[in-house]
Amino acid sequence: MRTQMIALSAVLAASLFHATEVLAHHSNVAFEVTKVVTIAGVVKAFEWRNPHTWVILTIDDGKGGKVDWAVEGRAPGVLLRAGWTRNSLQPGDMITVDMSPAKDGSKTGLVARVIKADGTILPNAGPAQQ
Amino acid sequence: MIELRLGVFLFWLIPAALCAQTPDFSGVYYPINPFGANALGRGAAKSQQAPAAGKQKGPPPRPTQSAPLADGSQGRSPDAPSLTPEYMAKWEVIRKSRMAGSSEFDNTAKCLPPGMPAMMTMAYGMEVMQNKDKITFFSELNDALRRVYLDGRKPTQKILDDPTYAGYSTGHWEGDTLVVDTVALHENSFIEGFSPHSDAMTVKERIRFQSPGLLEDRITVTDPKALTKPWDTVKTYRKATRGTDELREFACPEGLSDAK
Repeated sequence: MRTQMIALSAVLAASLFHATEVLAHHSNVAFEVTKVVTIAGVVKAFEWRNPHTWVILTIDDGKGGKVDWAVEGRAPGVLLRAGWTRNSLQPGDMITVDMSPAKDGSKTGLVARVIKADGTILPNAGPAQQ
Repeated sequence: MIELRLGVFLFWLIPAALCAQTPDFSGVYYPINPFGANALGRGAAKSQQAPAAGKQKGPPPRPTQSAPLADGSQGRSPDAPSLTPEYMAKWEVIRKSRMAGSSEFDNTAKCLPPGMPAMMTMAYGMEVMQNKDKITFFSELNDALRRVYLDGRKPTQKILDDPTYAGYSTGHWEGDTLVVDTVALHENSFIEGFSPHSDAMTVKERIRFQSPGLLEDRITVTDPKALTKPWDTVKTYRKATRGTDELREFACPEGLSDAK
């Protein structure tokens, strides 16, 4: 975990000068789906829409500043069956996100799961999808 | 009086006997291992088995994957369709694009229908609507559907000249099995994954209940231009129970305006 956070900090530092990503819709092929890194921060926005949901969160950039990440999640229908609702994440919530980083090094990722401050786990798929 | 009673008895018996031969597939289903048993990897499978949204004691296992690896970097599965050299070359072009992270060849990312037979993966769930003349398969993923005509009609030349993603399907019952033939498929879709095919592809299916609530679709794909031999696959689906038996609207273009 520590190694991954350090590696992620390096990625963050390298990409600081880039503008925040727009919420472009991606295919899964845009991400390193077999890698999962962990980031933690404060929810800025939660977009509940098809074909993919979005979590925008603000995290420490490791240099005393803040940076926004836009993390792409699965479709509302899938997440509903996994226990999410459109109100699962509110601006200001502290969350931890396990995610696969983008291949292009941008400040985006593909959600593997979200853990809220009270320990609630929001997984990627529900039991009916196994 | 006796004749009347016999007549009433036969009036009920004959339709009941006919119904007994044609099972009712109606309902919502979810696929079993839609991407193969090991597609998500052990760690991810473990995390998916965790109860849906809820508090847990102790640190939960961390997922090792976010989605199935499907960009081609793992090569071709031995179970994948056996492509002719011409279509293998096309596959290699698509593979390079996907490995680079591009959605250029990804119909799903463009909100296009998955098409036959790929749509029968039904990754996000399937709803079956059935009457004696038609059975309709609806996919939550990309709100895609296909109709299978059971009333004896056959594809006309006009139909054959107008290929589509789902194609044109006709079917008939052989005992408890629905036998479906699909033709009129255009090239802008994939057999499965991103294996390309030609406009000569046809699909044959045998759909039946393996056991109550467990639906099986045995699929055979034939394509004299793209395949060196017919490709067989089997999809299985479990019927949903109350609480998960409603699919959600997909409305893919909500996010299409800024697709790239």
